[in-house]
Amino acid sequence: MTAPLQRAIFWILVGFAVLILSLPMVIVVGASVTSGNIIAFPPEGFSLKWYEKIAQARDLQQAFWRSIQVSLVCVAVSVPVGTLAGIALSRYRLRGAMALQVYLLLPFTVPLIASGIGMMLVFGEWRILGALWPVGVACAVINLPFIIWSVSASAASLDRDLELAAQNCGAGPIATFFHVTLPAVMPGVITGGLLMFVLAMTEFLVSLLLTDARTVTLPVQVYNNIRSIITPDLAAVSTIFVVIALAAVWLLDRLVGLEIFLKSK
Amino acid sequence: MEETALTVRVHDVSMDFGSGTKAVDSARFDLETGRFLTVLGPSGSGKTTLLHMIAGFLKPTAGEITINGQPVDALPPHRRSIGMVFQKLALFPHMTAAENVAFPLKMRRWNPKGIPARVSDFLDLVKLGDYRDRRIHELSGGQQQRVAIARALVFEPELLLLDEPLAALDRKLREEMQLEFRRIQKELGVTTINVTHDQREALVVSDEIIVMDGGKIQQKATPVALYQQPANDFVAGFVGVSTFLDGSATEGGVEIQGTRCAGTHMTDIAAGTPVRGGIRAEQIRLGRSAQAVADCDTRLTGHVSDMIFEGERLLYVLNCPALPGVDIQVYYHDPDAFDLFEIGSEVHFGWRARDLRIFRAAR
Repeated sequence: MTAPLQRAIFWILVGFAVLILSLPMVIVVGASVTSGNIIAFPPEGFSLKWYEKIAQARDLQQAFWRSIQVSLVCVAVSVPVGTLAGIALSRYRLRGAMALQVYLLLPFTVPLIASGIGMMLVFGEWRILGALWPVGVACAVINLPFIIWSVSASAASLDRDLELAAQNCGAGPIATFFHVTLPAVMPGVITGGLLMFVLAMTEFLVSLLLTDARTVTLPVQVYNNIRSIITPDLAAVSTIFVVIALAAVWLLDRLVGLEIFLKSK
Repeated sequence: MEETALTVRVHDVSMDFGSGTKAVDSARFDLETGRFLTVLGPSGSGKTTLLHMIAGFLKPTAGEITINGQPVDALPPHRRSIGMVFQKLALFPHMTAAENVAFPLKMRRWNPKGIPARVSDFLDLVKLGDYRDRRIHELSGGQQQRVAIARALVFEPELLLLDEPLAALDRKLREEMQLEFRRIQKELGVTTINVTHDQREALVVSDEIIVMDGGKIQQKATPVALYQQPANDFVAGFVGVSTFLDGSATEGGVEIQGTRCAGTHMTDIAAGTPVRGGIRAEQIRLGRSAQAVADCDTRLTGHVSDMIFEGERLLYVLNCPALPGVDIQVYYHDPDAFDLFEIGSEVHFGWRARDLRIFRAAR
């Protein structure tokens, strides 16, 4: 096979993959700017009226701010826990490290409906089911493996001598952690934290089980609206989700890209 | 017996990782204040383990280490007054050069007002005054070395430890930094323990050298004494280039497969005992005729089997029918006659009895 032909096949495959991956997003964004009254792609004309509508919809707005709160709780819980667990996992020969590795695979194996029901029962028993913060904690629990992964990947490339050097400089264990270990794993912490934020923001199934009419989060609210009547404002909400995800990626590139640059690795 | 000038005493210290052999086996030595000691040994000899025990990163499984008379085994590393330059330097990548140097002062709670001036002094000492705000990755290898040494010395440690920090540098920079370490050490008068596998570095920079092998200290001596009077065949082989002759002891020499070689017994050895004789490459005389080796106590003939050009000298490898199976290594220095002996040509060689050192065949 000649080189130009190889290159052509390569780019055709790449183009196909990009198209398939971005098609849902393109359709949703396209449908959200329609000037008609039904969801349609290609859109009929162009208008931002559906964005205007969601900007005035109180239920969607409240659900949006609740989702933000849930995500912040999730980040607040998962970052300290995930950071310490990630460092410990990559650093020490833990008893039960195997069990931990299995735990890290759980998000891919246990159906969310199972963990959701489990948590619904437990939270119900604890009588905290109507509150918003347990939803954030639940999101932290089910997604924790992602931040543990991200931090332990950073910690694995950490030079152990850096911590010995800090001790040699007179830093005790706590000072060593804050001055040397934590800055070194910061890229992993930032990556994991943003990931946790986005995952909690978009978490649907577990939120559905743990929320009631007073505490619906944005994905649940969207689902409720779909069940009544499908209008282009839902496409506009979905576009907001896409924008949040893109913002997270941009932030990651800025923060971690910068961090990696500073580490000259 | 009170010795006021003693900084470090390592007293029968052992480290057993539980793998069968001890990483460090009953190491014992004293180091006086202001001296520069090098621990020399091949990789796996236990020298870095020994250093880590002194720094406090490892706890000896037996024995005791005292610094300025105080046992330190119960002190965690950050409570010991020891500066260390690590093999891979271990500079903090998220800090500037000046922040790295200031770090030990902050951690050791120096008066914050005095810190900037002191950091400047030490950056000047290592000739990095103009680079204080550079990040570590913006500095060259030699400059990073200098930051590491400033960081290790800035808080006036009682002891400086060097864990092969020069091993990764190219040869020219390494030799430059060896002299630099020596200069700074003399200037500050700080007691220093340096670890290396580079025998040349050990000879150049040290007041005293300890040779380690297999976790055991083989010899402690000044560079000159170590070179001239190696305690055993390991030291003789590790420091300098030597040819070894295995045979049995005779009066005033060694007999190897019927050939009697004149040599000096380094200890009291009875005739007939299995021994190993070592002779340095620069102590073998080499010539085209028997006349060139007339004043040698042992005179032999052989053939040149290989010739290695090393720049300032040639290394000839000789084979000798009287000493079968031995590659005799000879340095040849005459700059006017570098291609004197061709490969395959017959040569006369020999040595004086005092230069063939005969040790009891150990292991």
